[in-house]
Amino acid sequence: MNPDNTKKYQSRLWIFYGLLIILLSLLYSGLFYRQLIESESHANREKIQNQRRILTPGPRGNLLDRDGRVLVSNWPKFSAVVFLSDDLVQSAFHNHYRSLVRDYRERGEKIESYSQLRVHSRAMVLQSYLSEVNRLIGRQEEVDASDISRHLYVNPLLPYPIVNNLTASEFAVLLESLPVESPVQVYVSNMRHYPYENAAAHALGYVGQSPLEVKSDMPGNELKTFASKGTYGRNGIEKQFDQVLQGKTGSEIWVVDPSGYQVEPIRQTYPEKGKDITLSIDIDLQLAGESGYDLYKDKGALVAIDINSMEILAMLSRPDYDLNATSPFISNIVFADISERKAWENKAIRGLYPPGSPFKLITAIAGLKAGKIDASTVFECDGAHQIGGRRFPCMGRHGEIDLRTAIEKSCNEYFYRVGLATGVDNLSQEAIYMRLNAPTQVDLPNETRSMLTPSRDWKKSRTGEPWYPGDTANMSIGQGALTVTPLQMAMLAASIAKNQVYSSPTILKQSATQLLRRSPPQPLGLPVDIHKAIVEGMDRVVSPTGTARAAIIEGVSVAGKTGTAQINKAEGNLELAWFIGFAPVDDPQIAIAALVEGQELNQSFGGGTYAAPMARYVLEAYFKKYPEYLDTAKEEAIANVSLP
Amino acid sequence: MLKKRLFNKKPFAVLIAVAIFWIFVPFIVKSTLRSAFYEFQAPISASASYVRELQNFWAARSKSKSELYEAGKDLAHLNATYELMILENQAMREEISRLESLLGLPSRPEYKYEIARVVTREFNSWWHQLEIRKGSLHGIPMGAPVVFAGGVVGRISEVHQYTSTVELLSNNHLRMAVIIEGDNRPMSFRGAGFRLFRSPIGIAQYVPTDIAVDSSNPPRILTSGMGGVFPAGLHIGHLVSLKPGSSGMFQDGEIRLEPRLSNLTEVAVLISLDEGTAQ
Repeated sequence: MNPDNTKKYQSRLWIFYGLLIILLSLLYSGLFYRQLIESESHANREKIQNQRRILTPGPRGNLLDRDGRVLVSNWPKFSAVVFLSDDLVQSAFHNHYRSLVRDYRERGEKIESYSQLRVHSRAMVLQSYLSEVNRLIGRQEEVDASDISRHLYVNPLLPYPIVNNLTASEFAVLLESLPVESPVQVYVSNMRHYPYENAAAHALGYVGQSPLEVKSDMPGNELKTFASKGTYGRNGIEKQFDQVLQGKTGSEIWVVDPSGYQVEPIRQTYPEKGKDITLSIDIDLQLAGESGYDLYKDKGALVAIDINSMEILAMLSRPDYDLNATSPFISNIVFADISERKAWENKAIRGLYPPGSPFKLITAIAGLKAGKIDASTVFECDGAHQIGGRRFPCMGRHGEIDLRTAIEKSCNEYFYRVGLATGVDNLSQEAIYMRLNAPTQVDLPNETRSMLTPSRDWKKSRTGEPWYPGDTANMSIGQGALTVTPLQMAMLAASIAKNQVYSSPTILKQSATQLLRRSPPQPLGLPVDIHKAIVEGMDRVVSPTGTARAAIIEGVSVAGKTGTAQINKAEGNLELAWFIGFAPVDDPQIAIAALVEGQELNQSFGGGTYAAPMARYVLEAYFKKYPEYLDTAKEEAIANVSLP
Repeated sequence: MLKKRLFNKKPFAVLIAVAIFWIFVPFIVKSTLRSAFYEFQAPISASASYVRELQNFWAARSKSKSELYEAGKDLAHLNATYELMILENQAMREEISRLESLLGLPSRPEYKYEIARVVTREFNSWWHQLEIRKGSLHGIPMGAPVVFAGGVVGRISEVHQYTSTVELLSNNHLRMAVIIEGDNRPMSFRGAGFRLFRSPIGIAQYVPTDIAVDSSNPPRILTSGMGGVFPAGLHIGHLVSLKPGSSGMFQDGEIRLEPRLSNLTEVAVLISLDEGTAQ
């Protein structure tokens, strides 16, 4: 070769080498960039593509009564399930699908939809598994093809239930009869269980199902996640303390194949149960109250309070519902039934009722505090009181009557006169001081804020009319625009019992420290002797001559006040029976308010006849449980009675 | 050279050919061959066990008179104890029948016992099983529960004419519903093999969260009787430890099984009298 040509050739070769080096450098740079700089990003992408996270909700905490008895717990819900991602199941799906296709071809038929055929083959395979389970446990369940497809689309990693709610014996039969490697497995999830069914249904509340809350600090947040449904409190304590009761969600991270089916687990965190809550409810008292309302199939509400701690011992509202019917979810039938019976509302804290005669106690206190009457003031009752052109009736002709007897006999005329002498401003002020115009701040959700203590200004702004003496007379006996809740009336009874104004009742059991931290009650402002006169009047109410004879309990002195209030409706009046009271009289421990709604319009519904017996059920249960509070003097008196 | 090389590969070629041939052999032929293998193997295993028993017999013959006298005394003791227990059992059975008729309860399932000698014991990481010297000719049904003086042994997993295979409690393919003594909530039991130099173990699932383990007096695990295979109240083992379960609602536990499971020589197969065969 010519040396010039060689040189020329070599220079071209150098150019080629140079280009080769540049291209190789580019290639290696790219490789370097991809392998080292972008490695983390690739690893993440690979992880996101190949890993899936499954979240399992932690069981909710239990609700316990004040003695530690379980009011709400979790019950295992056992199901027979099939893991659709299992190799065995996948292979069964595939084989069945292939045999169906082959059959079609052999018959010379055209396949309309391959996807539909796939759905059908899956249903057939699961039905064969289900038939075996049906044979073992004697059921006759069938699979739903569209449900299987929906499950595969939404939650392919979660097990597909073919039989729900297995009984203990069905669970045992399947465990022993199904081989360990069977595609059908026994699976457990949890549901709320209410051992006392409808007892304290409104106070305890129920839960609903919701998407599981995913916290940002949980591992695998970047991964595609499949979650079982979680629960949230929809009412009552379940709602109020939802955050405390919620369990800690468990998580599993799985490696999946390209079809998204599980291959092997990488990481597992167990779910944890939420915290238990001890309530102030005493289930013995609660059941005693419920039994009373059950007996007469009454509607209404009852609240019993521990006067010393302001803890709610019993709270019921009727009509009610079996809480177990709401678990694990509320079916349309159950929802329609509860709605039709108007049983959703907790009347103890949301029901607004005129207080009726128990309000006479506030009229008396207002009159006493305003100096318009004293404990010995006597008025003449001639059966009615004339104000202007209107006659305000009394239940009887009581003649000359003093405060104690007026309370005992529930004399309307006496309190018309006291109210008129005291004036609406003092009456309103006293009712407001007794906190009848504001929510009690009980630790339950949805307490009404619509309770009303009328005043001159309220009437003027509402109707544009001035306040008339007739309005005062009505208000004096707890009628008119006044509305309160049964819980407020129980608080009123507690306040009168101790000559102090109590607020903020609680449904949680209080520790000794919590009790010490409570803000002290305000004084009611009655001198001891005058307070005693009111209590004496209330004591006489629950005596053989009083209006609440049905609330008499042997061995205990009970002070009370009955009442009958009317709700005016277009079709007629609906009467309400009230009883409020406390016991024992000398050392009050328990306060109670019972309300029973009239069952028919224009039906006479006296508090002594209908509400007092309801209170007695609870009081009897209380003193049976705490005999140390029995009135020893009364016990001795009863013991010393000589029989004729 | 090439010829020699090919000659050397001949065994591999034969092996591959046999493997391919085996793949295409019909299932029924394979199944028959497998059964036949067991049936031919059974007399050999049974003969071996008879020989072992003969050995034991001659070993016993070599014992001194005083040793035999002591053994005879112990045996008399045991016989007396068993006589007493038989009487007690009879009295209890009558009491149970009386209570059942009084309460209108359905009578408990009745079983007959088929005593069988253990031919072989196989313990490996794949399975734990016993071969017993009774088979379909002796009325042994598939799936029947097998027991011994210390409680449950397992269940029959294969039945041949003269022998049967018993899947042991410690086998990880054996699962049953069990209860804790004094508590009627069913839990799941599954065999979990042997811990090195220790007793066989099992795993309990769905143990209620209110159950705790006192190591000095561990809870006793019994058959629940709800599953329809095992009668209720048979001893399984003791619950020795607990840990939180994956559902958060239950605990998982470890059950220590009877150490005697690994050296059984004789067992009893329970044959249901109600159905003739267990499920």
